[in-house]
Amino acid sequence: MKKAVVVLLIALVVLPSAFAAGQADTKQAEKKVVQVFGAFVDEELRRFEEAIVPFEERTGIDVVYEGSKDFETLISVRVEGGNPPDIAALPQPGLMYNFASQGYLVPMWDSLLEAVDANYAPVWKDLGSYDGVPYGVFHRVNAKSFVWYPKKAWAREGYEVPTTWDEMIALMDKMVANGHTPWSIGIEAGGATGWVGTDWVEDVMLRTAGPEVYDKWVNHEIPFNAPEVKEAFDIIGKIWLNPKYVYGGTNTILTQSYTDSPRTMFENPPRSWMHRQGNFVTSFLQDDIQANLEEEVGVFPLPSINEEFGIPILGGGDQFVVFNDRPEVREFMEFLATWESGEIWAKRGGALFPYLNQDLNAYPNEIERSLAEALVNAKVFRFDASDLMPGQVGAGSFWTGIVDWVNGKNLDTMLSDVQKSWPK
Amino acid sequence: MTSLARKRQNRWNVVVNIVLIVLVIVWSIPIIGLLISSVRPQDDVLNTGWWTVFKGDGDFTLNNYRRVLGGRQATFTDAEGNVLRASGDNLSQAFINSFTVTVPSVIIPILIAAAAAFGFAWMVFPGRKLFFTIVVALLVVPLQIALIPILRDYMKIGLTGSYLGIWLAHTGFGLPLGIYLLYNYISTIPRDVFESAFLDGARPMVIFVRLVLPLSVPAIASLGIFQFLWVWNDLLVALVFLGGTSDVAVLTQRLANMVGSRGQDWHLLTAGAFVVMIVPILVFFFLQRYFVQGLMAGSVKG
Repeated sequence: MKKAVVVLLIALVVLPSAFAAGQADTKQAEKKVVQVFGAFVDEELRRFEEAIVPFEERTGIDVVYEGSKDFETLISVRVEGGNPPDIAALPQPGLMYNFASQGYLVPMWDSLLEAVDANYAPVWKDLGSYDGVPYGVFHRVNAKSFVWYPKKAWAREGYEVPTTWDEMIALMDKMVANGHTPWSIGIEAGGATGWVGTDWVEDVMLRTAGPEVYDKWVNHEIPFNAPEVKEAFDIIGKIWLNPKYVYGGTNTILTQSYTDSPRTMFENPPRSWMHRQGNFVTSFLQDDIQANLEEEVGVFPLPSINEEFGIPILGGGDQFVVFNDRPEVREFMEFLATWESGEIWAKRGGALFPYLNQDLNAYPNEIERSLAEALVNAKVFRFDASDLMPGQVGAGSFWTGIVDWVNGKNLDTMLSDVQKSWPK
Repeated sequence: MTSLARKRQNRWNVVVNIVLIVLVIVWSIPIIGLLISSVRPQDDVLNTGWWTVFKGDGDFTLNNYRRVLGGRQATFTDAEGNVLRASGDNLSQAFINSFTVTVPSVIIPILIAAAAAFGFAWMVFPGRKLFFTIVVALLVVPLQIALIPILRDYMKIGLTGSYLGIWLAHTGFGLPLGIYLLYNYISTIPRDVFESAFLDGARPMVIFVRLVLPLSVPAIASLGIFQFLWVWNDLLVALVFLGGTSDVAVLTQRLANMVGSRGQDWHLLTAGAFVVMIVPILVFFFLQRYFVQGLMAGSVKG
């Protein structure tokens, strides 16, 4: 008995150290490895791995991607703990500002800078910069200013795509007259409930007040409850708070998950006729709709309100930043800054890329092609404001403010409450 | 006992039983719902509640399980006979990883805790009370505050990302409770048992292996269940010390990522949750006899 315990103890001590030693050996013997850590998982993780195969084959460098739903917490722990990944894909610019201001990030070097200047619109470089120093490279991005509709049902009813906000309102009234409910809106997203609403506000802000006011609002140079913001809420309220316009009224807005909400358009007969959401919405749709995307689904950009600002595009994306400066890491970053790194993913569908020189024909269907075109050609592109604002607001009081407002809270009170929550 | 008293006793038993049955039903309903949802097709899950199956509408399918358990490419046939191909989640690798993490992370702290508890309870050395107080006081320290300092030390000695690192981490985090629980049990073993052994000239190690360990089986088993469930269900420690690349990712990590970046695949989560649950449920059923015994043993001292 005693012997057995001793043997067991020895085994326990020896085995793992053998393990650890074995691991260290293989690491040295193997080819160069670049570790990438990001927030996207599952399907998108696989697409990303497929997209970087050409790089791995060409250079022999092994790029290991790790994704986690708890990315925001973990990246801070790992960086503080002295164990940062070589490259991280940060979903929120705020995280980048944090790490950059603490000196953890490697700024862009000349050859990468050249590639970024050549391949992206200037707005992307600005979004990846802190204090005038560029750090982040964008790869897959999303664009949110789009309205989706059931193409076949629209054709049957003779509805036409509106090109101005007024036309859209007229179309909505026509739908109501026909006994149809124009919009499906669902903002339920667990702990993140409300973000769908912030996108609406931001989109309308860009259309009524323009990008400059929008930037001031994001940077808190004008208060959160500025008249321009109130105006945006009023415009949205005319749609959201009118039970004739929204499927299920305010109750459904609050309780329907944003992933389920677009599905109501593709029932027979449709329970709703329009849905505003980003390019990623297609993955929420029913399988048979996804299989015939081009025939079933129509899309148009949310129409302009003030001609002066055209059709601005609201969006976001993960920016890749470097923690560990090694030649193979540099090589991979330079690859990410080229259209080649996106082409395979674009062909598989479900992703948009910001590269100026991209081949729009690579996208598998007319829908994504038109989205990419709108993104590349947009005169105004702005990053999702709620991702740029401080966390207490952008991922806190702004979300809950939307919920309260839909619940019937007075607009002025709600806006000034959010304003008060802005960190000093 | 008079017949009146017996009657009262019976009536009391009925009340207790009714309360227990109600509690069991209330606690089980969500799990039953989860189970039913896990065998329904995706569209049904998203459109109607699971209780509608009792009205007889809706189909059943094992596609969710196929996708969860399948390899990188799972092929299955949907209701209309179309063959769909979708990427599976390949939980089998994660299963192996979870076992590799869990088994040593349960055995090591139990062995150390048993020895420490024996020492604190029956061996005389200076500062015994003080050390024991310190160990028990560690119970209130949340492990989150230790993550970054430990990670820094691990970086220095190259333990990050290795199984040994996470075993040691779980051992450290599990020890205070383990020592406390086993101390309560081991200190109740009658003194006579040890005295006769001492008189026979047995050394402490012999007493520990021959007497203490066999006598403490109920307490060790209940601690084993606690530690097993904690390590098996742990996500944070594994993510920090082991990382989440697919070769080392444990089940909880795969489960958390299964819903997709935007939570659109939550129908898969239902099946995944059941797969992950199987092992703890088996462990619990096999050891539950000890579990109840051990809990009682630890709580009533004297």
